[in-house]
Amino acid sequence: MGEFARLNFYCDEHRCINCDGCSVACAEAHELPEYISRRKVITMNEGIENMEYSLSIACMHCTDAPCQQVCPVDCFYIRADGIVLHDKDKCIGCAYCLYACPFGAPQFPLDGAFGTKGVMDKCTMCAGGPEETNSHEERELYGQNRISEGKVPVCAAMCSTKALLVGDSAKISDIYRERILSKGHGAKTQPYGWDVAYGKKL
Amino acid sequence: MANTWGYGAMTNSLGDIQNAKAIIIFGANPAVNHPVGFQHFLKAQERNNAQMIVVDPVFTKTAAKADIYVRIRPGTDIAFMYGMLHLIFKNGWEDEDFINDRVYAMDDIKAEAAKWTPEKVSDVTGVPAEKLIQVTKLYASAGVGTLIWAMGLTQHSIGSSNTRLAPILQLALGNMGKEGGGTNILRGHDNVQGATDMGCLSDTLPGYYGLSEGSWKYFASSWGVDFEWLQGRFKSSEWMGKKGFTLARWWAGAINGKDGNDQIHNAGTGLKNLFVMGNGITSIAQQAKVKEGLDNLDMLVLCDPFVNEAAILTDKQDDVFILPAATQFETSGTVVATNRSVQWRTKVVDPLYESKTDQWIMFELAKRLGFYDEFTAGMKIKENKKDFTWPEDATDEIARIIKTIGLTGWTAKRVKSHTENWHMFDQISGRGYGKMKGEYYGLPWPCWTEKHSGSPVLYNTDRSVAEGGMGFRNRFGLEHDGTNLLAEDGSAPKDSFIEGGYPEINKDNIEKVLGITLTEDEKAKIGKNWKVDKSNIIVEKCMEKGLAPYGNAKARAKVWTFPDQIPMHREPLHSPRADLVKEFPSYEDKSNHFRVDTKYISKQTEQEWVKDFPINLVTGRLVNMNGAGMENRASKYLAALSPEMFCQIHPDLAGKYGIRDKSMMWIHSPEGTKIKVKAKYSFSVSEDRIFIPFHFAGHFQGEDLTHKFPAGTAPYASGESANTVTNYGYDIVTQIPETKGGLCRIEYAKEEA
Amino acid sequence: MKKRYLALMLLLSTFLFGAKADSSIWGNNLLSNILEYDKEGSLHMGHYFTVIQSTYIQPMLLFVLIVIPLAFAAHYFIVGPKVFSHSGKSIMVFSLFKRINHALAAISFMVIIPTGIIMIFGDFFGGGAFVRFCKGAHAIASPLFMISVIPMLLTWMKRMIFSPKDDIRWLKIVGGYLSKEKKPIPAGMFNMGQKIYFWFVTLGGLVMIATSVILYLVDFELGIFTSMGLSQIDVLRISALTHNIIGIFIVAMFMVHIYMSVFAIKDAYKSMIDGTIPEEEVKILHSSYYKELQEKGEV
Ligand code: HEM
Ligand code: SF4
Ligand code: SF4
Ligand code: SF4
Repeated sequence: MGEFARLNFYCDEHRCINCDGCSVACAEAHELPEYISRRKVITMNEGIENMEYSLSIACMHCTDAPCQQVCPVDCFYIRADGIVLHDKDKCIGCAYCLYACPFGAPQFPLDGAFGTKGVMDKCTMCAGGPEETNSHEERELYGQNRISEGKVPVCAAMCSTKALLVGDSAKISDIYRERILSKGHGAKTQPYGWDVAYGKKL
Repeated sequence: MANTWGYGAMTNSLGDIQNAKAIIIFGANPAVNHPVGFQHFLKAQERNNAQMIVVDPVFTKTAAKADIYVRIRPGTDIAFMYGMLHLIFKNGWEDEDFINDRVYAMDDIKAEAAKWTPEKVSDVTGVPAEKLIQVTKLYASAGVGTLIWAMGLTQHSIGSSNTRLAPILQLALGNMGKEGGGTNILRGHDNVQGATDMGCLSDTLPGYYGLSEGSWKYFASSWGVDFEWLQGRFKSSEWMGKKGFTLARWWAGAINGKDGNDQIHNAGTGLKNLFVMGNGITSIAQQAKVKEGLDNLDMLVLCDPFVNEAAILTDKQDDVFILPAATQFETSGTVVATNRSVQWRTKVVDPLYESKTDQWIMFELAKRLGFYDEFTAGMKIKENKKDFTWPEDATDEIARIIKTIGLTGWTAKRVKSHTENWHMFDQISGRGYGKMKGEYYGLPWPCWTEKHSGSPVLYNTDRSVAEGGMGFRNRFGLEHDGTNLLAEDGSAPKDSFIEGGYPEINKDNIEKVLGITLTEDEKAKIGKNWKVDKSNIIVEKCMEKGLAPYGNAKARAKVWTFPDQIPMHREPLHSPRADLVKEFPSYEDKSNHFRVDTKYISKQTEQEWVKDFPINLVTGRLVNMNGAGMENRASKYLAALSPEMFCQIHPDLAGKYGIRDKSMMWIHSPEGTKIKVKAKYSFSVSEDRIFIPFHFAGHFQGEDLTHKFPAGTAPYASGESANTVTNYGYDIVTQIPETKGGLCRIEYAKEEA
Repeated sequence: MKKRYLALMLLLSTFLFGAKADSSIWGNNLLSNILEYDKEGSLHMGHYFTVIQSTYIQPMLLFVLIVIPLAFAAHYFIVGPKVFSHSGKSIMVFSLFKRINHALAAISFMVIIPTGIIMIFGDFFGGGAFVRFCKGAHAIASPLFMISVIPMLLTWMKRMIFSPKDDIRWLKIVGGYLSKEKKPIPAGMFNMGQKIYFWFVTLGGLVMIATSVILYLVDFELGIFTSMGLSQIDVLRISALTHNIIGIFIVAMFMVHIYMSVFAIKDAYKSMIDGTIPEEEVKILHSSYYKELQEKGEV
C-alpha cells in the first residue's frame, strides 16, 4: 500500500445478493447491541424483474467528511489512511453527524437521559477508536481493531460473493473498472456513491 | 440421475460453472441457499458473459441476477423441459454425434417432445410461448451450458421424473462430460453429499451398495464381523434386504395405520422409538402428522446442540430425552462437498459444557446395546491394531471399503494434506500446482486409487482415466430390447486401451476385456467384481490400461423399471388446474412404498381441490437460516434478520382477502391444518401463489408452544412451521415430499389484543 | 409461568424494535436518501445542513451573545435605567395562576437556554460528560416549557393582540427607552415590545417544541411529511436547522427580556413574584392600560 493510500469501501450492486453476511459478521465481531447495525444491506425494487438490486451500506469514510464538519464537539478525526473515526467519550449524541451524512451511517442507542439519543456508533472500518490500540476500553467502546492486526475488515472478509471490497482506493477502482468492462455495462467511471463520499477526482 | 448414467451427484463443480457460456437454473436459489458458491455464477456472467436463465415459481434473489427470468407454475418443469426439447429437435440444435455414441433411447424422448408445442407448454406451465422460444434458443446456441437444480425440482410427486428429464436435456445438447456443462445439483447443507455417500438412506448400505445379501456379506467381511451375527440382528433374514422407512414418512410407522391413516408394512408392529441425530424434523412435510407420530412413540431421543423443537411440538411428557450434541467445531473428521470433493475439518475447541460429540454418543450407545466391539472392529483391521484413533481410522476404513464411488484414494493422510495446502489449487479447475501437482482439490470421487487425481468432471472423455476422465457407467446391462447399451466407438476416454464401449470389469471378464493374463496369486486375491474387490487389483489393472473399472456405456433416457419409462408430466396431487388433472393424472396408488401405502390418484381425485384451495403454496429458504432453523434462530443477530414467521403475498391477492401488509393471516391446507403468520407484501410472488419460509417452529396451528422449552433454551425467534400446511404427496420413487407444489386457502386473521 | 411468558414477550418486542426493518432512516429508503443526496432535483438539505451548521450557527450565536450585551451596556451607561418606586401604591396585575405559569416558563428557560448555548459551543466546553449532562438537562426541562407555554398563550393572548393606535406610536419612540424622561408611553397592559417577545416566545416556542419532538423521536414517520415528499432524514435536517436558528433568535429575545425586567426598568421582575406593579410604573409605561383601569374605577 502506497504512502498516500486511502482506504475505501465499494459495494458492487451487480454482485451483492443481500445475504447479510457482512452485517451479521460486523454485529457479531463487534458485539453490537441488536438495535445498532453499522452495516445494512438494502434491496431496491424487490420482486421487480430487471430492476431489483441490493447494496451493503455503512460509513463510507468520506474525504471532507460532512459528519466531521458539523459535529459540535469536534469528536471526529480522520486517520492518515482515510479512516474516519470518532471519540465516544466526547460525543454528546446530538445526531448532527447523521443529518450531515450522505449515507445514514451514524446510529444511536436511545439510552440517554429521558430516552434521548445516546452516544453515536458507526462503522470504524474495524479500526477501533482513540483509546489505546487493542486495549480493553477500545474493544468495549468500538469493537475489534482488526486494521492494527493487519486484517481486512470483517464485513468485507465475510462477503460471500466478494461484492463488498475494502482497500486502497486505486486498487478498488481498478477492480471496479475491470468488472464493469467485462460485463459490458459501459462507462461508469466510479462506483456508486464515491462522488459524494470521496469527491469527484480520485 | 443415477438411473440415467450411473451416479447421482453433481457432475461438475461450483468453480467449473465459471466455464459455462449459459446457465439454466431450475428450482434452485443459490443466491440464498449457496451464497458463497453463487460467486461462481456471478463470475461466469462477468468474465464469460454467460447468460443466466432462472426458471422458478418465485422471483428469487437468484432471479434478480438473471438475464432471463421465467415464472413457471409449480410442478410443471417436465412440460417446460419437453418444450425446450421440442424446439431443440425441431430446429436441429441437438448434438447428434453425442446422442448416437453415448445415449440410449433418445428417440422415445423425441417422440414425446413432439407433443409439447410451445402453445401447449404455455398452457400447462403459464410461461408465454415466446419466452420458451427465447430461452431455448439462447441456451441451445450458447455453446456449453450448465444445468443447475435443487429442491425445487426434486420435491414433487414427479420429482424423480424431473431429475431424469433435466439430464436428458443436457444429453440432447451434448453438454455432459464437458467443462462448463453438466448437471450441477446443489446440495442444500454442509456434508449432505457425505451423508448420502455414507448411506444415510433407508434403501442402501454405505457407498450406495444395495441391500442384497452379496452386499451385506461384503460389508460383514470388511467390517470384520460375522454375517450370521449381522443377520441375527434382524427380525428375520428377509427383513435384511427390505427398504426402511424414510425421513419423509417415518411418522406413518409410529401412527401404525390408526384412525384411517395410511397402512404400513413393518413386520406387524409400529415404530416405537425414535432416535434423532441432528435433524430438523420440524421442517418435514405434514407437521400435524409428525406431531401425531411423536405423540405415539414410546421413546423419543433428540441429540442436537440446541433443543430440537420436536420436543416442544409433541404432547408426550415422559421418555423424551434431549442429549446435548457437540457442533462441528468441537470435533474433527471429513466432510464432502456438493462436487464430491472431501475436506478435513479440524477441531476448534473441545466440546463446551456438557455437550458430547456424535461419535461419543454412538459409541456409548453401542456399548450399552452390547455391540461396541463389532461396531468399531472395522477401524482396526487395516493395520491390525488393538485400538483405533478417531477419526483417522474411520476415514481409512471408508477408503478401504467403498469402491462403488471410488473412495479408495481418500485416506486420512491425503485428505489432510489437501486441506492444509488448499491454497495450492486453482479455484476454478481445482487443479493443484507445486507439490500438489497432478491432483484435484479434495479428490472429487471417483478417486480410484491412493495415487489417483480425483475426477473433477464426471463422464469427461477428453481426459484419460488417470486424470479423472471416464465414460458413462455400465450399470444397466449390456443391451436392452436388442439395442447395445455400451458406448459406440470413438467415445472412450483419452489414452484408453479400448476405443469404444466396454462392460464393467469383474473377475470373469477382466482377462478378456483388458487383454491380460493374471498370475495365480492375483487370481486368488481378486474379488468377484470391481465393487467388492478388496485387493483393488481390478482397479489397478484398469488404470494401467486407461479404463474405468465401471465400464463405458451409454446413458439411458429410458428407465424400464420405473413407473414412467420416460419422464412424463403429471399434475401435482393438489393442482390448481382441474382440467389438466384429467389430462395428466397422477400415478396409481402405491402399496408398501418404503413400508407405507401411499396415495396418488385417489388423493388427486378425492375432490376438486382447487375449488376450496385456490392458491398455490410454495415453500423455500431464507438466507440467514437453514433447515428447521433451530440453531440459526438461537443466534441473536441471525434471528434479528427475520424475527417472525411471515408469508410473502402479492398486494393484489392480499387485497382480495382484506389482508393488509404486516397484518396476520391464516393459511389453510387441504389436510385440514392451518397456520397463522404475518403477511408481507411482495412483488416476488405473482397473484396466484404465496411463498413461505420453512425455518420456523415453536408455534402450532395458532398456538404458541414456546413455554414448553426448558428454561433458558428458547430461541430468539419462533413461529409457525410452514410444513404444518404443506400438502400430502410423495415422490413415486424416492418418497421425497411434494412441498413445492401444493394448494392452500388464505384468510385475514383478526388480531386478538 | 406468566412471568416467563412476559419476559419472553419483552425479549421479542425488543427484537422487533431492534430489527429496524421498517426504520424510516435506516430502512429501505436509506438507499434513495443516499442516491438523492445533493443530486439535481433533490432538496439539497444534507448539503445545506452541513454548510449552515458547520459555518454559520456558532458565529451567529456568538454575535448575539456579544453584540446584545454590548448594546445593553451602552444603553445602561448612556440612558440608564428607569426607576419606579416600589414603596408607593401598587396595582395588582398578575393573578397567582399567571405567575406560577410564568415561573414555570422562566425556570425552564433558565435551563434550556444556557444548556442550548453550551451544546452549540460544545467544542469550547470539550464535549463529553458535561455537555452530555447539559443535553439531558435541556431535554428534561423541555416538558416544563411545553406545559407552561399553552396556558400562557391562552391566558395572555387577548391582551397581546396588537392595537395599532398605541403600538405604532410605541415603536416610533422605541418605547421611550432612548430618553430618560418619564412621560407616559402609549401602551396597554403589555407594550409592543412585550407583545413581540410574547408572540415570538410562544409561537416560536411551539415551533421549537415541534422541532424538538422530531429531534427527540428521530426514527418515525408522519403522513404529512411523506405526502409532501419529504424523507424523514430531510425532516430531521430541517428541524435541526430550524431549532438552532430560531433558538438563536429566542436567545436574543430572552436576553432583551431579562435586561428589561432587571436593569432597564429597575426591579420590574418583581411584578412576576408578587403580582403587583407600582402605580407610577403603570401610569408611565402602560398609559392606555392605566386609563382603562381609571375608567373602570379600579385605581
Ligand atoms: C424554546 C424552547 C426549547 C425547547 C422546548 C427545546 C427542546 C429541545 C429538545 C426536547 C431537544 C431534543 C433533546 C434530545 O433529543 O436529546 C432539543 C435539542 C436541542 N436544542 Fe433545544 N429547546 C428549546 C430551545 C433551545 C434553544 C434556545 C437552543 C439554543 C440556543 C436550543 C438548542 C438545542 C440544541 C443545540 C439541541 C440539539 C441537541 C439534541 O438534539 O439533543 N434549544 N431542544
Ligand atoms: S459516511 Fe457519514 S459518517 Fe461516514 S465519514 Fe461520511 S459523513 Fe461521516
Ligand atoms: S452525535 Fe456525537 S459524533 Fe455525532 S455530531 Fe453529535 S457529538 Fe458529534
Ligand atoms: S468495517 Fe468493520 S465496523 Fe465497519 S461495517 Fe465492516 S465490520 Fe462493521
